[in-house]
Amino acid sequence: MNKAQKYSTDGAEHNHKAAPMVEEITDFEVLEIAVRELAIEHGLFTAEDHRRFTEFAESVGPAGGSRLVAKIWTDPAFKARAMEDPVKACLEIGIDWSKPTGFGTPSDYTHLTILEDTPTLHHVVCCTLCSCYPRPLLGMSPEWYRTTNYRRRLVRWPRQILAEFGLILPPEVEVRVEDSNQKCRFIVLPVRPSGTENWTEEQLAEIVTRDCMIGVALPQPGRTADVHPVHKARRPVHSSHHEEAAR
Amino acid sequence: MKQSKTMEKSQNNIGVLEEHPLGMQPRFKVGDRVQVRDMPYFFYTRSQMWARGVVGTIAALTYSDLVPEDEAFNVDGRVEQYYIVRFRQKDLWPEYPFDNDTVQTESPERWLEPARNSE
Repeated sequence: MNKAQKYSTDGAEHNHKAAPMVEEITDFEVLEIAVRELAIEHGLFTAEDHRRFTEFAESVGPAGGSRLVAKIWTDPAFKARAMEDPVKACLEIGIDWSKPTGFGTPSDYTHLTILEDTPTLHHVVCCTLCSCYPRPLLGMSPEWYRTTNYRRRLVRWPRQILAEFGLILPPEVEVRVEDSNQKCRFIVLPVRPSGTENWTEEQLAEIVTRDCMIGVALPQPGRTADVHPVHKARRPVHSSHHEEAAR
Repeated sequence: MKQSKTMEKSQNNIGVLEEHPLGMQPRFKVGDRVQVRDMPYFFYTRSQMWARGVVGTIAALTYSDLVPEDEAFNVDGRVEQYYIVRFRQKDLWPEYPFDNDTVQTESPERWLEPARNSE
C-alpha cells in the first residue's frame, strides 16, 4: 500500500484513527456570538471593529501591573498616592482605565483596590460569580482563573489551592481571599522580597509576575515567569502514525 | 414611579419595606458588624449564597452605584452604597482548620443588616 492510497479520503483502506476531538462551547459563548452578530447586522459596529478591539484586549498583558507594583516598592510618595486613588495613580505609569471605551479597558469597571500584603497577611483574588479581573493592569485572565474549580474552591479551601500552585504558607500568616464579585477590581501588592535591595524599578518589575498579583505566587529573585508543572499523561493516546513509526 | 429620597421608608423591587431608604447617607461605617440578608431575587443577583446569613465586619466603603438587580434589567435610577465585608472563615465553615483566615467580598447596602446578637 502506498502513501497516497493509505491517506486517500474515499477508500475503505483509510484506517487513520484521529484523536477524539471535543469541542466545548458554553451557553454564554453562544449568547455572545448571537448578540455580536445582531450588533454587526444592525450596524452598531463592524466585524472589523470587533476584530481590532479583540486584538487590542488580548494584547494588554500584565506588564502594567508589574510596573505599578515595582514603582510602589521603590517610591514611597507614589505608594501614598496609589493607595489613596489607585486608578488615578495608574495614569502615572501610562494606564488610563477609562480608555478606550470610556468605562474601562476593555468593558470593565473603574474602581480599583490595591490589597497590600504584610509578613503576616497574604491576599489572593478570585471571582466566585464569574471572572472579574483588573484587565487594564493585568490583561486577560488566565484560563484557570475562570474555571469553576478555582472559583468554587478558593473561598472554601484557599490553602489547598495555594499549595497546588506550590505556595505553602505557615498557619500564622492570615490568608485573606478577596471574592471580586461587584465593581471593584483587585490587585495584590506583595511584600518586596529580600535580596532585591538596590534593584532598579525595571529589575523589580521582572519578578512581579501575573500570578504574584493574583496572589497564587510570591515574587522572588530569579523567578521571572509563571511556570506551572506539566504532567505527562499516564496512558497517552497513540494514533496509527505513532504505531507505524515504532515498527 | 420615581421614589423620593426624602421618604422615611422605601420599598425595594420585591415590595419589602426597607428600614433605610436608598440614596441617603451610608448606613454602615468601617468596623460595624453586619449580617448578609437572605432575600429572594428574580433571576439575577450578585449576592453569593455562601455569604447569606453570615455575620461579618465592614472593612471599607467603596462607592455608590446602581442596584445590581436593577442594572441586570437595564433599569436606571436607584443607587446604593457598596461595602467590602470581611468574614472569618470559621464563621462561614465551622470545620475550617485555620483560625486567622478571612474572606472579603463586596456587598450592596440592601443586602446588609445590622448583625443580630452582635458581640
